[in-house]
Amino acid sequence: MVRFRAPLLIALGLFVAGLALTAALKDRHYVLLSLVLLLAALLPLFLRLERRQLASRELVLLAVLSAIAAVSRIPFAALPGVKPVSAVVILSAYVFGAEAGFVIGAVAALVSNIYFGQGPWTPWQMFAWGMTGLTAGWLRNTWWMKKRPGLLIFGFIWGFLFGWIMNLWVILSLPDAFSWGLVAATYGASFYFDLAHALSNVFFLAILAGGWTKVLKRFRKKYGLLQE
Amino acid sequence: MNSGFRSMHPAVALLYYAGLLLFALLGLHPLFLVTEIAGLLALLLLQGQGKALLRGLPFMLLMGGSVAVLNPLFSHRGAHILFYWLDQPITLEAVLYGLIMMTVLLTIFIWFISYNYTVTTDKFMYLFAAAAPRTALLTLMALRFVPLFQRRLRQITLIQRLRGVDVRTGSLRKRMQDGMTLLKVLLTWSLEEALQTGDSMTARGYGVAKRSTYSIYKPDRQDKLILLVLTLSGMIALFFWLQGYGTLEIYPRMKSMDFGWQDAVMYGSFCLFVLLPAGLEGKEKWLWRSSKRNKYPSAILKKTGTRSMSSRSQ
Repeated sequence: MVRFRAPLLIALGLFVAGLALTAALKDRHYVLLSLVLLLAALLPLFLRLERRQLASRELVLLAVLSAIAAVSRIPFAALPGVKPVSAVVILSAYVFGAEAGFVIGAVAALVSNIYFGQGPWTPWQMFAWGMTGLTAGWLRNTWWMKKRPGLLIFGFIWGFLFGWIMNLWVILSLPDAFSWGLVAATYGASFYFDLAHALSNVFFLAILAGGWTKVLKRFRKKYGLLQE
Repeated sequence: MNSGFRSMHPAVALLYYAGLLLFALLGLHPLFLVTEIAGLLALLLLQGQGKALLRGLPFMLLMGGSVAVLNPLFSHRGAHILFYWLDQPITLEAVLYGLIMMTVLLTIFIWFISYNYTVTTDKFMYLFAAAAPRTALLTLMALRFVPLFQRRLRQITLIQRLRGVDVRTGSLRKRMQDGMTLLKVLLTWSLEEALQTGDSMTARGYGVAKRSTYSIYKPDRQDKLILLVLTLSGMIALFFWLQGYGTLEIYPRMKSMDFGWQDAVMYGSFCLFVLLPAGLEGKEKWLWRSSKRNKYPSAILKKTGTRSMSSRSQ
């Protein structure tokens, strides 16, 4: 049983993907298809994590940073939209690169939701925070990301992008009502939360950027972690 | 309490929940959705999870209600116009579609409450540890670090307060700086210690060979039987769905559903799939109660009702 688990999972995944396609083409129900596509988008990056050379030190480092990102969400649970996770993910990706940023973002979303309650938003949050880390890692060597204002603007933009990604599953559940009016209504309703997220990102990045990048860079150098 | 459906093999629970999620998202007839909600509610209530359900209820109704309202406002397809609102026709079909989508959302929310209770993290990890060992280990470690870091942060706060580093007093600027100091201490401390853990793992041979996984769960006869019944009934329902049965056509014009024998068979096997765990849970509850009453009569006379071992007498 244990040996056949991976092929079994692949077969199951293909089966569900087929069903999702049928539902989307036949009855225009896109929620299942969107979930399948989302998981398909996450899969290659997690496969890469499984396959690549990784010392146990690096694995533990990723776990610590994900856990710190998850913990940082707890004191601000009462304030909707204020999520320091994004800032922690951006800074980690800034030092350790795109792949690490993705893993930290996705795992932080999964783990923090075990405390906050899993829901249909979990895969979307994993995707959104994973992408936050991935893009921060990709852009970390551009001249404007190296400057403080550039980093803050990046955090501000991701505050809004995060909310916009999360809005997608509401819109996807109403395929027949799809119109720019619906998009405007949903995105208008979430505007204040997105703004709060964006501003809190700027705030946390402004506080943490100097000190944390220094600490993380020092650790990276001292222990030779996740060097390209 | 770990009994009934919760004590079964994780594969059974995972198959059940995967099937339920699939059925909820495939766009079945509302009758199926309502049956699914009923099955989940029965299971949750039998497991004594009414409180968790009540806690989530306002949010669920808010999300579901907004979908139900949004659809007729923005979708104007359909033949039966109910009334005009701001010069826009509100159609019966759009209202119904919104209500169905609300039911789907409610099903998913209740599904998550039940899933969180039954498929605990360790069961999920058990199932995926072989397929994705590194991701599973990473997630489990992060999960374990969360309470540890919370505890550490409290210790750091207490100790740093003696040095005057305190987020509760001073100007806003000082407080922010102090908060950052606390977090930096947490980061440094945790990283130092975690890297030692990493070294210790390396010393014990982590990553030298392919990891074997310890399986704590052994499927017994009942597990296998239930797994088989769930697979078969789920497959039958899916088969009929692929043939086009069990759906309600709303757009462009609502059709009344003719309930033929195919739909009846599909609904029957769907019911078997959905209600089986609730039935198992109920059977267990009933056996427990009746065994307490009849099989093992206590020598001590009780005043009222039944009592379990853990409840203290007044």
